[in-house]
Amino acid sequence: MTVSFDGVFAVAYLVPLFPAIAFVVVGLFGTRLRRLEWGGWVAVFFSGLAMVLSLVIALGEGLNPGKFTDQTYTWLSLPHSGTGAFPGGFSLVMGTLVDPISALMLVVVNVVGFLVMLYSIGYMHHDKGLPRYYAELSLFLTAMNGLVLSDNLLEFFLFWELVGVCSYFLIGFYYEKPSAASAAKEAFLVTRIGDVLFLLGIFIYFAVYATAGAAPGWAASGFLFTSNGHPFLGTLVGTNTPLLTVAGLMMLAGAAGKSAQFPLHVWLPDAMEGPTTVSALIHAATMVAAGVYLLAVTSLFLGFTPADQLAIVAIGGFTTLFAATMALVHRDIKRVIAYSTISQLGYMVLAVGAGFTMVGLFHLWTHAFFKALLFLAAGSVIHAVGTQDLFRMGGLGRKMRLTTIAFAVGGLSLAGIPPFAGFWSKDDVLGSVLSQTASHPLYWPFFLCALITVFLTAYYIFRAFFLAFSGAAPRDASLPEAHEPPWVMRLPLVVLSGLAIVAGLLVFIPGFPNLLPGANVPPTYGTADLFLSGLSTALGVGGIGVAYSLWGNGRVFALPESSPFQPVRRLWLRLYFMKDAYDWIGLRGVYTIARAADFVDRYVIDGTIHGVERTFAELSRRLRKIQTGVVSDYAAYVVAGLAAFLLLLIFVAPWFLHAWGV
Amino acid sequence: MFPVLSATLILLLVGTLLTFVAGERARWVALVTSFAFLGLAAVLLYDFSGFAVAHGIELFVYPETYTWISLPWMHIDYAVGVDGISLVLILLTAFLQLATVIYSWNESKKPGAWFGLVLLTCLGCFGVFVALDVLLFFLFWEAVLVPMFFIIGYWGGPRRRYAALKFFIYTHVASIVMLVGLLVLVFYSGSTSFDFQSLQATAGELAVTAQVFVFLALFFGFGVKFPIVPFHTWLPDAHVEAPTGGSVLLAGLLLKLGGYGLIRWAVQLLPGAIPHVQWLLYAVAFASIIWGSVVSLAQRDLKRLVAFSSINHMGIVLLAIALYSSLGLLAAVLLMFAHGIVSALLFMTAGTVHHSTGSRDISKLGGMTPRTPVLATTIMIGSLASLGLPALISFPAEFIALQATWVGIGYWVLVPLIALVVTAGFYIWMMQRMLFGPPRGLPEKVDDVPRHEGMAMGILVALTVVYGLLPFLLVNLIVSSPVVGIPFP
Repeated sequence: MTVSFDGVFAVAYLVPLFPAIAFVVVGLFGTRLRRLEWGGWVAVFFSGLAMVLSLVIALGEGLNPGKFTDQTYTWLSLPHSGTGAFPGGFSLVMGTLVDPISALMLVVVNVVGFLVMLYSIGYMHHDKGLPRYYAELSLFLTAMNGLVLSDNLLEFFLFWELVGVCSYFLIGFYYEKPSAASAAKEAFLVTRIGDVLFLLGIFIYFAVYATAGAAPGWAASGFLFTSNGHPFLGTLVGTNTPLLTVAGLMMLAGAAGKSAQFPLHVWLPDAMEGPTTVSALIHAATMVAAGVYLLAVTSLFLGFTPADQLAIVAIGGFTTLFAATMALVHRDIKRVIAYSTISQLGYMVLAVGAGFTMVGLFHLWTHAFFKALLFLAAGSVIHAVGTQDLFRMGGLGRKMRLTTIAFAVGGLSLAGIPPFAGFWSKDDVLGSVLSQTASHPLYWPFFLCALITVFLTAYYIFRAFFLAFSGAAPRDASLPEAHEPPWVMRLPLVVLSGLAIVAGLLVFIPGFPNLLPGANVPPTYGTADLFLSGLSTALGVGGIGVAYSLWGNGRVFALPESSPFQPVRRLWLRLYFMKDAYDWIGLRGVYTIARAADFVDRYVIDGTIHGVERTFAELSRRLRKIQTGVVSDYAAYVVAGLAAFLLLLIFVAPWFLHAWGV
Repeated sequence: MFPVLSATLILLLVGTLLTFVAGERARWVALVTSFAFLGLAAVLLYDFSGFAVAHGIELFVYPETYTWISLPWMHIDYAVGVDGISLVLILLTAFLQLATVIYSWNESKKPGAWFGLVLLTCLGCFGVFVALDVLLFFLFWEAVLVPMFFIIGYWGGPRRRYAALKFFIYTHVASIVMLVGLLVLVFYSGSTSFDFQSLQATAGELAVTAQVFVFLALFFGFGVKFPIVPFHTWLPDAHVEAPTGGSVLLAGLLLKLGGYGLIRWAVQLLPGAIPHVQWLLYAVAFASIIWGSVVSLAQRDLKRLVAFSSINHMGIVLLAIALYSSLGLLAAVLLMFAHGIVSALLFMTAGTVHHSTGSRDISKLGGMTPRTPVLATTIMIGSLASLGLPALISFPAEFIALQATWVGIGYWVLVPLIALVVTAGFYIWMMQRMLFGPPRGLPEKVDDVPRHEGMAMGILVALTVVYGLLPFLLVNLIVSSPVVGIPFP
């Protein structure tokens, strides 16, 4: 029996539209409601509608996978002329594209979005800025759903910028705190670097494809995502490889900015200045994954050259290890999870770079659930004890049983312990990259990075777990008595815990690996290469064991001052001095140049003008003196002037006229 | 055929004259005139392309030509007409006139003269956009200078006399060089006519050296209005001293005269010179783009910051024009419209910040958001629009401009792209210091946006959003008009 879901796919635009309604309602009327939470419930309601519709769409895609596009809105269009740089015209159409991966992303965005919205009712209940919070969060969901459903690169970029600006406002939600305002600025500007390079990539793709697509039909098809692989792709990769390589690298730069990959990762840990719920939704599950999604759609619809792939593998693999090391030593529970997010995004980038798009998206899928769970569990802790400092916590396991279980489930999933969701996807990433090392020996070091990170991941997340939950009582006795949160916060924890356990079973749904024709999927899913699965599981268990022996049961491990590892630890605590470097270049360097330029503007450029002014004043003061009033002087001037004029006429004028062709 | 362009000119002229003598009722006269102007602009838009088809007109729509001065050796007409480029800028003029009148509704210092001068400035700009005769064009061009001189010099800040004089001398010197260029063009092309279309037919026959010379003279004349680095220093001074309404007209309209003039009287008349001067245009455009954004970063006065950002944006306009492609020209016109709306909005917010806090010093103000939420939100929208956030007006224009730059000169597009990062930097940093953080430098009682100022800003915010979401409204207007010499796209 086949059921047609075309009707549902045709109204996919409602998914972004529902939260948009909430944005308008809460944004305009939120502050006038008698109780501020009502605005929150409105937002929860509309995000619930969006979630239900996304689930129906995903069900439809699951039953009969395919592409459904709806291009209804011409944003801007230039006619077909047959000449110039865009012979086929220049048509930018906005529409929706429903296909297996956008359906997958819709589920991630809206399920986590709905749960975070619900959770926030409890988490943010005391905040006067509640209407602003819900308006901004609803706008974010609109933009994120729009991004997921984009059917062309320009539309993608449009929503890409909008999610960025929502993230900017939500990081700076507590804007009266200078650190929050500063973190928001940093996030905007660092991602902006990636964004302008992304834009350059779009320019290149546009120009290259426009030249190739002289046929009028090209313009009408909008831009690219709609067709399954572009008809011109094959010929272009052969003919214009250097240019397409650059374009691919620009996509990588954009993705690195959004997904916080080295060297544009610095903003994400500071983004933890925002409410924890925002960290869970935007800076763990959805927006930061948009970079991976960008790489995925680029690899599917535009294609990367081998050089691009190596660069992506290198950035992803290196970031995996690089970020994990920084997570090892931090005291702030949110920052530990934030570095973990950077590291996990590295896994996804690594897989996509190695050519396994579906594997990268699979890890995106499981990660969204277990990482949102970890953040919300951390939020529950912060809500209860009012601090983010792990060293002040302790013994919370006795008071907050549900939160403890939730954090443990999230941690086990992150550490890749079977049968939790993270195991399946992480194992997939490792297996798929390993399978490429035979033909691409340069992938080896990055595979090893990823493998080492498995151990580190298990260690740092359980270090945090033991520090917060094990032991008899908090190390800081002044902390308030911990308590379990209200049901609106407990329910999301329960649901996400369930998902963090079972989400990995997605791969066992028949046909899942073949949803994307052309996306390279390993057939094994962690079952065939038992040696690798065993090794990674052993590394994970080992990491947990080391964490337990150092931090378990309320122990606090202090690295001896004489230890040779102290410099390394300090290096990690100082974040490899990269933040200092950014501050130095960005704040001091550029600002000094700006100050110098301002000085030049005021005193050199304007000063020259004033100098001219003074010169003329002085000149006229002197020239005045030739007005002697003596007639014979004037007669001499007249004769001299006449002579000069005649000379000019005789010697200069003919040359002048000649040169002008008169 | 109803002479709609002349009717608009007469309307604005009558409105101006009435305003001067209307005393306390001047604001109402100005308001009615502004709405009537907007109405006539709507008439122009309505059936714009249909008119061209119906009347078989290939170049300028709604043309009118009456002989003005006819001598054996020169023939001067009253000749007007519009194409898509001028129409977009006329629309901008009508919007900004209305917004300025509403914003300065409560002007108490000689309201009759104030509103009269505002209307006269807009009259001059409208004239520049429709004139198709060298002398008529120059007349309107100079007519803009005088009211703006008085607006800055009488209603301005403490250093208004210096700023007004500087503005006048700079633009006037530039005008003279431009006039020399235009006259050389007329007399050397062997034609007696001052008419645009006959000039266009004959200008190409000039020797290349002469074309280059004339082009450079025109470029200097129009460039100072842009303004281009290094002839830009009049702009920040004029903006800092000008009253808010003056700044709005200055940034929103007067700078556009430079861009429009360059397209109409230099690029379209002398395409032969472009290959020889293109490198200079690029160099000047890059210098303006970089200089404008970098110097903005060091500014502490909100108005100076927006003034330098204007130099940056107009640099992108110059770059788009210099590309000499249809896509570039389209982008240049869109950018001028976008910058006209957005910079006007930002100057209005700067004026309101000054009224309600008594200061415009970014480094001394802080934490305005909770005290003046509406004003803070408007500043955020204006800043985000100016730094090119999609869904707001500047993005489509900048996107097309930079796409055209890539097509035209390849990796040089990195220069404006990097400047985009710096532009984001100074706006975001300004917002961090002025709007966020703990309250700082605010008086006990801070007023949020007053009613009339809020209405004016509301109009501009609405335009920012509407044209950002529906850019095809403008694009279709431009591409549906036959643009001289350059086929679209």
